[in-house]
Amino acid sequence: MATYTRNNAWNNGGTFDNHDLLWYAKGVAAMMALPLDNPNSWWFFAAIHGEEIALTAFPGWGFLPSPPAVPTTPLPAQNVKTTYWNQCQHQSWYFPPWHRGYLIALESEIRAAVIKAGGPATWALPYWNYFGPNNQYQIPPAFTVRTLPDGTPNPLFVTARYGPNSDGNIFIPIPPVSQACMNNDLYTGTDAATPRPGFGGPKTGFSHGGRTSGNLESNPHNQVHVDVGGNAPTGSDYGLMSDPGIAALDPIFYIHHANIDRMWAAWNAAGHANPTDPKWLNGPAASGGRKFIMPMAVGAAFPNPWVYTPSDVNSLSKLNYTYDNLVPAVKATPAANLLTQRLTRLGAALAAPAPAGVPMDSGDNSELVGAHQGALSITSSGARATVKLDGVVRKKVAASLTAASVAHPPDHAYLQLENVRGTQDAHKLSVYINEHLAGTVGLFGLRTASLQDGPHGGEGLTFELDITPIIDALHLANGLDVDSLDVRIVPNHAIAAGTSLTVGRVSIYRQSF
Amino acid sequence: MPGNARRSIGVRAPILFISAIAWMMLLVNPGSMIALIHCPVTTSWASPMSFKMLVEMNPLSSLAEGWALMLVAMMAPTLTAPVRYILERSFKRRRARSVALFFIGYGAVWMVAGAVLLSTELLLSLLAPRSLLPAIMVGVVAFVWQCAPAKQRCLNRGHNHYALAAFGLDADLDVFRFGMKHGVWCVGSCWALMLFPMLLPVGHFAGMAAVTFQVVSERLEQPRPPDWRLRGPVKLVRILVQQARMGIQGTITGSAVLPTALNPRR
Repeated sequence: MATYTRNNAWNNGGTFDNHDLLWYAKGVAAMMALPLDNPNSWWFFAAIHGEEIALTAFPGWGFLPSPPAVPTTPLPAQNVKTTYWNQCQHQSWYFPPWHRGYLIALESEIRAAVIKAGGPATWALPYWNYFGPNNQYQIPPAFTVRTLPDGTPNPLFVTARYGPNSDGNIFIPIPPVSQACMNNDLYTGTDAATPRPGFGGPKTGFSHGGRTSGNLESNPHNQVHVDVGGNAPTGSDYGLMSDPGIAALDPIFYIHHANIDRMWAAWNAAGHANPTDPKWLNGPAASGGRKFIMPMAVGAAFPNPWVYTPSDVNSLSKLNYTYDNLVPAVKATPAANLLTQRLTRLGAALAAPAPAGVPMDSGDNSELVGAHQGALSITSSGARATVKLDGVVRKKVAASLTAASVAHPPDHAYLQLENVRGTQDAHKLSVYINEHLAGTVGLFGLRTASLQDGPHGGEGLTFELDITPIIDALHLANGLDVDSLDVRIVPNHAIAAGTSLTVGRVSIYRQSF
Repeated sequence: MPGNARRSIGVRAPILFISAIAWMMLLVNPGSMIALIHCPVTTSWASPMSFKMLVEMNPLSSLAEGWALMLVAMMAPTLTAPVRYILERSFKRRRARSVALFFIGYGAVWMVAGAVLLSTELLLSLLAPRSLLPAIMVGVVAFVWQCAPAKQRCLNRGHNHYALAAFGLDADLDVFRFGMKHGVWCVGSCWALMLFPMLLPVGHFAGMAAVTFQVVSERLEQPRPPDWRLRGPVKLVRILVQQARMGIQGTITGSAVLPTALNPRR
C-alpha cells in the first residue's frame, strides 16, 4: 500500500469541504510568503518550470495582474538560476517523467507546510479529472472563490484565468479535448493504434520547448492549458496557464498536471510499457544535456537537491505513490483489431484477422505528398490553404490503400502545420480538410518557440494531425484523385490587433509500412 | 515530421564521412592548403615585391581550393540538422537537388568570407611573416568575440529553420536562400575562430582540429539569451565523458551501450 494517494479534486463538490484542497491552499499560502530567491518558495518553483522575470512588458512577471502579487526580486545567484530554472520538458519524450518529478518536489514543499500547520502527514496533491462525470469538466469551485472558509484571501484564486470563452468561466470543452491518447499502445513510435509521435512524445535531448508534442501532451495537456488560461476579454493579454513562462504561477497548474500524471500511470496500469532505451532511462544529462534537479523540503523522503532521471520515476510504486483511480476511462482497442477494422473498411479481402502481438514501433518511412505554397497569416476569420498534391506520390497513397492487406498495411497520412509562429499562446486552431474536421491543436508554448533567442532559435512549433481516416474516406469516395486538397484553419478566439499568428507551411505526408 | 522520421533519414554518417575525407586530404597533402608558403623575400619587410612573390607562391586558385577543403572538413559536421530538415521537407525525388542547392548557398557565403579572411591572412603575413604575433592578436579578438552577446545571437539564428516551398523554382530558391542565411550566421559565429589557425606559424592542423571541436560543440548547445560569457566546448566534452562512462559501465556489466548519437538539434 502506497503512503501517498492522490485523490479527485472534485471530492466533496470540489470546495474547501475537500480537505485536500483546503490544505493545498494553506500550503500554497505558506510557499507564497517566501521570497523569490528561496528554493522552497512558490515563485522559485514556478521559475523551475519557466520564467519571464526579465521581460519589461506582459507576460513579464512584473506586469501580471494581481492576485497573485508576483515578485521579481530578490533574484538568486546566477548559478542557482542556471541549475534550477527553465527546466520544463516539452515536445519531448521527457515530458511525462520530468513533470512527475516536478510534482513530487512541489508536493514535498506543500506537505511540509501542511504538517507544520497541523495537517495530515500523508497529504498529497489532488487531481482535476476534467473527463469525470457530471460537472467535473468545470474547474473545482475552490479555485474560484476569493476567500478561504476562515475569511482570509484564497491563494488558489488568480485574476488572470479567463477560460475558453474569455469570460472567466473556466471549463474544459469536451470535445475537442479528449483522452484519445489512451488508445495508444506505444510510448514513442507509431503503429495502427498510435499516431506519431507516440503517447509520451518524440525522442529528443533536453527539450525546454521544441517542435512536436507527444499525444498525451498535445491533447489533453496543451489544450487544457490554453482553455483554462484563455484570453483576457479586454485585449491581447492572456491567462497565466496559457504560457509556459507564467503557467506554474497558477495553483491550478499542479492539479492539472496531477491529472496528466494520473493518465500516464493509468496508461501504464493498462499494460503499456515505458521506453527501455537507455537514452530515456538515463535522461538528457547522460547525453551531455542538463540534469533534472529539484529542491526538496526538509524531511522529505528524497535528498535535497533531488537529481533524478526517468528511470527513477517510471513507476509510481517506486515512489510510494498511487492514485485513487487508475482505471482508464477509455478501453483501448488492440492495434491488430484496429488494422483489421481499417482493412475491412477499405474493402481488403481478409482471410483472417490481423494477428495480435506485442506493440512494436513500425519505424518510419515518411514522404511528402503535397504542400501549400507560401506562409499563411491566421486572422480572426481563419485562413484557407490549397495543399497541392504531387501526382506521383498521391498515386502511391492510392495504390497503398487499394492493395492494402495484413502483410502490406495501408499508408497512414498526416497533416502538418509547420513553423507556426506567433506572439500569443492562448489560442486553439481547428483544422479542416475539404470541410472534414482533422483535429484541434492548442498553441501552448508558441510565444517562446517563436523567439529568435528562445530555445529553438525562433523556428516555431510544428503540429501534426493524423488524417488517415479522412484520406481513407476520400479514397473510398473516389475523392483522392485530385490535384489539391482544401485546408481551412479556424482559431477559437479573435486574433487581437497587434498580435501575429502565422503558419510557415501546410503539408501532407504519407507514412508507408 | 517527428522523431522517427528524423532518425530514418540517415544524414550524420555520410556527412561525417565527407568531413573525414577532407581531413585526410589536408593531412596527406597540407601544402598551401592550410598555411601560406613563404620565401626569403616574403619574410622580409612588406613591400610590393614581397606581396607579388607571396601571391605568386600562393595562387588564388590554390588558396580557394585550400579554403574550400578547410570548410568541408571543419563545417560539414555542423550541418546535419539543416540537411536533415531539408530532407524531411522535400519530395523524395528532389532531396539530393535541394541539399546541393543548400550547400551552394552556404558555400557561396563562406567563400566570400574566405576572400576577406584570406586577404587578412596575406596582409598580416606580410607585416609579420612567420611570427606568432598575428595569431596572438587574432586569438585575443577571437576570445573577445567568443564571449560577446553578438556571437550568441549568431549561434541562435543558426538554429532557425525556415518554411520551404515544395514545388518548382520556389523550392529551389528557398533552399538556396536557406543555405545563404545559414552561412551568414555561421560566418558571424565562426569567422574569428577560423582565422586563428590560419595565422599560426606552426601547428595549423592541431589548431584547426581544436577549432572544429569548439564549433561542433557550440552547435550542439541550445540557443540561449545573448550575454557576455565564456563559451567553451562544454557540451561536447560532457557528451564524450558521459559516453566514456556508459561505455565503461557497459563493459563492466556486459551490456552493450551504444554510443549516444551527437544530435545537433539539442
